[in-house]
Amino acid sequence: MNLFSPRLFESPAHDDAWIPSSCSLCYGTCSILAHRVDGTIVKIEGNPDSAVGKGRLCGKGVSGIMTHYDPNRLRYPMRRTNPKKGLYEDPGWKRISWEEALDEIATVLRKVRADDPRKLVVQRTTTVTASRVPFHAFATAFGTPNFSVSGGGQHCGNGAHLISGIMHASWSIVPDFEYCNYAIFFGASKGHSAGHASCSNMAKAADARVRGMKMVVVDPLCNFAAAKASEWVPVRVGTDAAIALAMCNVLVNELGIYDGPYLQAKTNAPYLVGPDKLYVRDGQSKKPLVWDTRNGAARPYDEVPAADSAIEGEFNVGEVTCRPAFECLRRHLQGFTPAWAEKISGVSAATVRRLAKEFGTEARIGSAIVIDGTALPYRPVAAIAFRGSQGHRNSVYNFFAIDLLNHLVGAADVVGGCLGFNPTCHGHPETGMVRYAPTAGPDGLMVVGNWMGYHYPYPPAEPRLPTNLGLQDLFVIGMTSPFLDSTDREALWDKFDLPYRPEVMINFGANLVMSIANKDAVAASLAKYKFIVSFDLFLTETSNFVDIILPDCDYLQSLDSRSNFPFIFSLPAGPGEWCWPIRQPVVPAEGEQRQFADVLLDIADRIGIRADLNAAYNAWLDLRPPYRLVGDRPYSYQDICDAELKNNFGPEHGLEWFKQHGVIKWPKKPDEVYWRPFVDVRVPIYWEFLKPIGEKIAGIAEPRGLKIPLEYYDPLPAFLPCRAHCCDKQGFDFYGFYYRDVVHTNSFTMENPWLDEAARLDPFSYAIAMNRSEAGKRGFVDGQLVWVENENGRKVKGRLKLTEGIHPEGLGFAAMCGHWTDGQPIAKGKGVFYNDLLELDWEHASPVNINLDLCVKVRVSAAEGTS
Amino acid sequence: MRVRWDAVVGCSAMDVLSPRADGVVTGPAEGHTQVRVRLFGALAARSTRPEVRLEIDASATLGHLLAMAGECFGDWLLDHVLDECGRKRRHCRIFVGGHPIEDLQTPLCVTADPSEVEIILLIAPEGG
Repeated sequence: MNLFSPRLFESPAHDDAWIPSSCSLCYGTCSILAHRVDGTIVKIEGNPDSAVGKGRLCGKGVSGIMTHYDPNRLRYPMRRTNPKKGLYEDPGWKRISWEEALDEIATVLRKVRADDPRKLVVQRTTTVTASRVPFHAFATAFGTPNFSVSGGGQHCGNGAHLISGIMHASWSIVPDFEYCNYAIFFGASKGHSAGHASCSNMAKAADARVRGMKMVVVDPLCNFAAAKASEWVPVRVGTDAAIALAMCNVLVNELGIYDGPYLQAKTNAPYLVGPDKLYVRDGQSKKPLVWDTRNGAARPYDEVPAADSAIEGEFNVGEVTCRPAFECLRRHLQGFTPAWAEKISGVSAATVRRLAKEFGTEARIGSAIVIDGTALPYRPVAAIAFRGSQGHRNSVYNFFAIDLLNHLVGAADVVGGCLGFNPTCHGHPETGMVRYAPTAGPDGLMVVGNWMGYHYPYPPAEPRLPTNLGLQDLFVIGMTSPFLDSTDREALWDKFDLPYRPEVMINFGANLVMSIANKDAVAASLAKYKFIVSFDLFLTETSNFVDIILPDCDYLQSLDSRSNFPFIFSLPAGPGEWCWPIRQPVVPAEGEQRQFADVLLDIADRIGIRADLNAAYNAWLDLRPPYRLVGDRPYSYQDICDAELKNNFGPEHGLEWFKQHGVIKWPKKPDEVYWRPFVDVRVPIYWEFLKPIGEKIAGIAEPRGLKIPLEYYDPLPAFLPCRAHCCDKQGFDFYGFYYRDVVHTNSFTMENPWLDEAARLDPFSYAIAMNRSEAGKRGFVDGQLVWVENENGRKVKGRLKLTEGIHPEGLGFAAMCGHWTDGQPIAKGKGVFYNDLLELDWEHASPVNINLDLCVKVRVSAAEGTS
Repeated sequence: MRVRWDAVVGCSAMDVLSPRADGVVTGPAEGHTQVRVRLFGALAARSTRPEVRLEIDASATLGHLLAMAGECFGDWLLDHVLDECGRKRRHCRIFVGGHPIEDLQTPLCVTADPSEVEIILLIAPEGG
């Protein structure tokens, strides 16, 4: 550990410097100090000056040197000479110059733009957070709405982020580790694995455990989070909603534990609902009505003091018999008994009851606490969900049911409760920039103050006949789409008379062949593109479909002015500091590597859209005079970064200042962290808006032959089984699922020899976890080579690791392994490619948020080979 | 000690919700003024010409200007910029004199430089 302050230090005799920058081994983007000696990076540590990581760095972060110096890194542009594209076809790479590469790319893009710019698909990996704005800006300037964040975005985006946005105005949720006493993790590992604000959260979670926070982990697998938990609750894969709904029922209907004043003031609990499941509205203003108990009449929600708004009972408004939304919820929950939940989830009724009682009791409804002189509600419980619990066809209800626990007891964005990542920021104290807060939207429901794009979680856009390839303008609750590459994409596009087809792709770092679902489906889709250009660090499995490969700079060679913004994404939640780090080059590019952002500017100039790109950057970065980019002036990416930093933090805090200091920070205030009492917005515990959305979507889709199951559009959550739950084929008696490995990120890091070594030392990383008892019944032994087959005949092979720490019906696969490309010799042949078991079509996607179903019913059989 | 949930405590948080005053000044509202309306990105690619100069009443709102721009460029522009209820689509950003304006009822005369209006459609979906 560096004991000195992190300042640039250069001796006149030789180069010895610690450079503040940002990691990019995962999207956590923790702040780092990279030690460079005589032009070589010798060490990477956390930056103690930054709130992002707080000086800590995980095993992936410190291993970044090995990715950087990998001799298999791409160093010059290449063009395929073999016109045939296929999973195992050698592209016949030929080295070309940058001039040749960009000339050809520009020619292709000019033609596409003149024809129909929507034929361009822009795709990026989620690992490099700072790639968002440059690629968004380019796509915006070019004029295509077709954007993909590959498997990384598809596998967690549509459930977790959507609902975190609607209910917490943020991208994700986490316990308030500073003050939480009781946290339940449903298929989540915040603070115990990778992910948003990972290193900071690991420290906070560890301190919380020392402080005595009880942590219950509901998960099919006992690993990173559960291994440190007070209690592990093994659950049948994909059935989290059943447990959460039963817990909600116990709280409300058995124990009578719920925060009435919170529900009255901060949710749509008092909104009156008619027999048609829609709000009863004021005839003139169309505002939802509530029952004013003081005056005995129905009035618009914003004209009645919260304390006087009924949340239970039944009332007549004119001739309409109606109930408050909470009353609807209360009655709806009655059907979800603990005994019912036991049948669905395998978790005993007694356990469900006990968890509910513990959660409700520890919520300490009605209590308050003073933080820095500010009195705040205190609810030291949190129910957290993330990728595991939402990665299913019943994604929306799984996550919604879990988060309902927080809202029933008022533990939402208050001290000790479930926090969104920084939904409110008062802005930099000197400039006031980067300020945002949730606001009240239609029907008084919360609209996020900041988001990663403009497809806001609420209010959803009006569904229409789609013109986007991903159909998100029809399925407006979804964000990332599986339909750009699904096996039925052409059929869907035909149904909706989509007037164009994708022809060209610009890919940044995404390995789509491995990251989203089975490789055959993706291969068929990619093979149809006329031209694909890809920015990469290494050749990947997807490279076999690429026409021109461009060698990218990695994070130790790159400049970014916003490595970690927006704050809703990966700045630690809870008390502490606002912190804006940058990324800066520690060492120069090698060979002919160029940073993607510079290349995009070059391409824009060649195809004549520089003015559009400048305008797009102005819009995405919110640049104001005098820092706005002007006309078609050929700014460099360095100029743009400098403009953004000065725009946000003043003329004295430009790029040169940040290169010296690394981060700018200022303290958070309690009313920013625990903003819920201070912002006059409500959240929906009853999703009334979902019903008309579903009907409109059905009105468009069903005449065209696509049936919309409207049970997914009911305003109240239920348990709807995945396809896997409905499989009764003989012998298919395990639920396959994958989980994040703390040692790896997506399919990226298996090539890193240090991380590969760590993974090989771990018995689970490259193996398939099976319950020891279940294995014994079937005659399987530890280390045995097996086939795992889905009900459609897709198969993968791997070695078993037997453990008591997995649900008897679960089959757990770590990370996204199983590379076969020669371009990554260390990664090749390691681990199991779980995604090859996943189907990629409408039938396996959520019909409401188009999330992909990530669990699969499988059969396991012995494979020949050395065991 | 109890804290009422419906007590929206007056503090600096409320300032956060106030729109920034950048670029908004009180100017004269008489006569006519020339405005250059420039389209970018998908809108520019769709149009035969990316910009047009309009002479409008100095007291006109942004909504009035858009209506005139729609007459010049075509109805397709308004389809892209406005939703079914006539509100600006969220992913459409409009800048007057370099400052973003969200409210179509904003009079152009109150902006610092009403002579330049930029309209651009941003990417909507995202994930990750």
